[in-house]
Amino acid sequence: MDICKQIEEALVGLSIERVKSLTQTALQDGVAPMEILDRGLVAGLEIIGGKYERQEIFVPELVLAGMAMKEALGLLRPLLERTDIPPIGKVVIGTVEGDVHDVGKNIVSMMLTGAGFRVTDLGIDVSAQKFTDAVREEKPDILALSCLYTPTRLAMKEVIASLQDANLRAQVKVLIGGAPIDQKFCDMIGADGYGADAPAGVRQARSLRAK
Amino acid sequence: MKEDAIFQQRRARINELRYKNERMSHRERALMSVKHQEPDRVPIDNWMTPEIQKRTIEYFGCEDYDELLAFLGVDFRNNYGPSYVGQSFKKYPDGTVEDLWGVRRKTVVYGRGTDHEGTYSEVAESPLEPMATVEEIEQYERWASPDWWEYSKVKQDCAVFHPQYCVINVGDRLDRTAQLKPMMYLRGVQQTFVDLALNPSIVEAVRDHIIKYFVEYDHRVFGAAGGEIDIFMMGDDIGGQTGPLLSLDMWRRYFKKGFKTYIDIAHQYGIPVMYHTCGDVKQFIPEFIECGLDILQSLQPKATNMDIKQLKKEFGKDIAFQGGMDIQHTLPLGTPQDVREMVKYAMDSARQGGGYIICTAHNIQVDTPIENVAALFEAYHQFGAY
Repeated sequence: MDICKQIEEALVGLSIERVKSLTQTALQDGVAPMEILDRGLVAGLEIIGGKYERQEIFVPELVLAGMAMKEALGLLRPLLERTDIPPIGKVVIGTVEGDVHDVGKNIVSMMLTGAGFRVTDLGIDVSAQKFTDAVREEKPDILALSCLYTPTRLAMKEVIASLQDANLRAQVKVLIGGAPIDQKFCDMIGADGYGADAPAGVRQARSLRAK
Repeated sequence: MKEDAIFQQRRARINELRYKNERMSHRERALMSVKHQEPDRVPIDNWMTPEIQKRTIEYFGCEDYDELLAFLGVDFRNNYGPSYVGQSFKKYPDGTVEDLWGVRRKTVVYGRGTDHEGTYSEVAESPLEPMATVEEIEQYERWASPDWWEYSKVKQDCAVFHPQYCVINVGDRLDRTAQLKPMMYLRGVQQTFVDLALNPSIVEAVRDHIIKYFVEYDHRVFGAAGGEIDIFMMGDDIGGQTGPLLSLDMWRRYFKKGFKTYIDIAHQYGIPVMYHTCGDVKQFIPEFIECGLDILQSLQPKATNMDIKQLKKEFGKDIAFQGGMDIQHTLPLGTPQDVREMVKYAMDSARQGGGYIICTAHNIQVDTPIENVAALFEAYHQFGAY
């Protein structure tokens, strides 16, 4: 079987070790890192996203998938950094001020990393100012904001206002996610996209990047 | 109760509707409904953050929270269990404080400086997180003990609400009878998910300590209460917004036995059991029923598969429900009319045959306009009559 297909299957099978060793083998065999990424890891993530949506797998399995993707990317990263490969994109991510929940954010962060994005994770309880400073300094393509509580989602609005005040809003796409987030809320605060779950968040990030 | 015209006017509609609808005591109403019989109106429970309590007290011109509950016609009163008399909780220089399980907690402020400012007590450090073996877990010295509580006042604390109100033994939010939740506090949420997938022996070791504690603690609480607890509430979140947090198979493997044990203990004392979980747990409901659960709380309406009409149709004969009011979108972001429609829909869907206690799916959050809180309670009385 094609090795990228094997990586995809190992990822869907949630075997961290197998994803890692197959990635290593693929690289040794001279398979292009972008091909491993697209046809192995991202293809596997698509299947995982579908299984999660259909309630065939749940959060423990998503965490494992995220860990496997991140491990594999550790092997691909040095090759992806070569100047002849166009960068996939840069993301600054964090949980907004007043909220300390990080599991959803961590899964998204691992999966974005696994999909080839350069991710800077600012952690939890991150102020609007800190997000804005990071956008100014790191110039990410996407700013990803997470929350769990209903009232803390209002801090996302503050982040967008802070970006506007700093004249930085136009240079970055804002992607939001977390339990109380839906399309209506996303439109209400003027974010560029939202993900109902981690794989959907990664899908959104890829599509925002393609725009 | 303040008698200024503005407050009298704000209270008038609820007073009028209650006068029209109510024909029995709060306790009779609540217990009839739990037994799947139709009382005079659908019983009302209430969950509010302290900030919303304060605002609602002020809005209706009440003196305190007890007076507010009495005015709103809330049929339940909470009992928080025995008094803590164990060792004092260690305080650290960084402001964190140990809790019952030795988990370091901190107070986190959200919405600082805005009209929706509030606080939550959050886990700052999970003591078992760095451990890699069952042996290390077993050597942990801070497992909670039922001896750290003084139980003699439980009976009196509950009896004070009788015969008028229905008393729910709710415990404390952070120490409520559970399995997965304390595990997440102790091991960290993410590590717990990894454990569930990869480290069964660690899951079992932590879980067994937790169950051992609650089995003894609950026996002592129920014994001390001498028949004065009307409903026992336990809570362990296993649902997320778009589906259960873990598979049904995993729940059966690790948690079903403990879940049933907790229910059986309450039933030995003749106490019906209410179980709180957020999120989509639809596929678990047949198992809850099989374990003997009496009331499922909280029917989070914006979670997938948790439409109250459908749940009532499928499971309403075998289990009662508490909850169904959306705090994520309708209450904070909707209009009073949206709130009334939500209440009417739930009442029309679940009132028939009893077995429904109306309540918000969690605490009414601080970002909710007071007009929507008022509309909610007015609608409870407007649409709740049998």
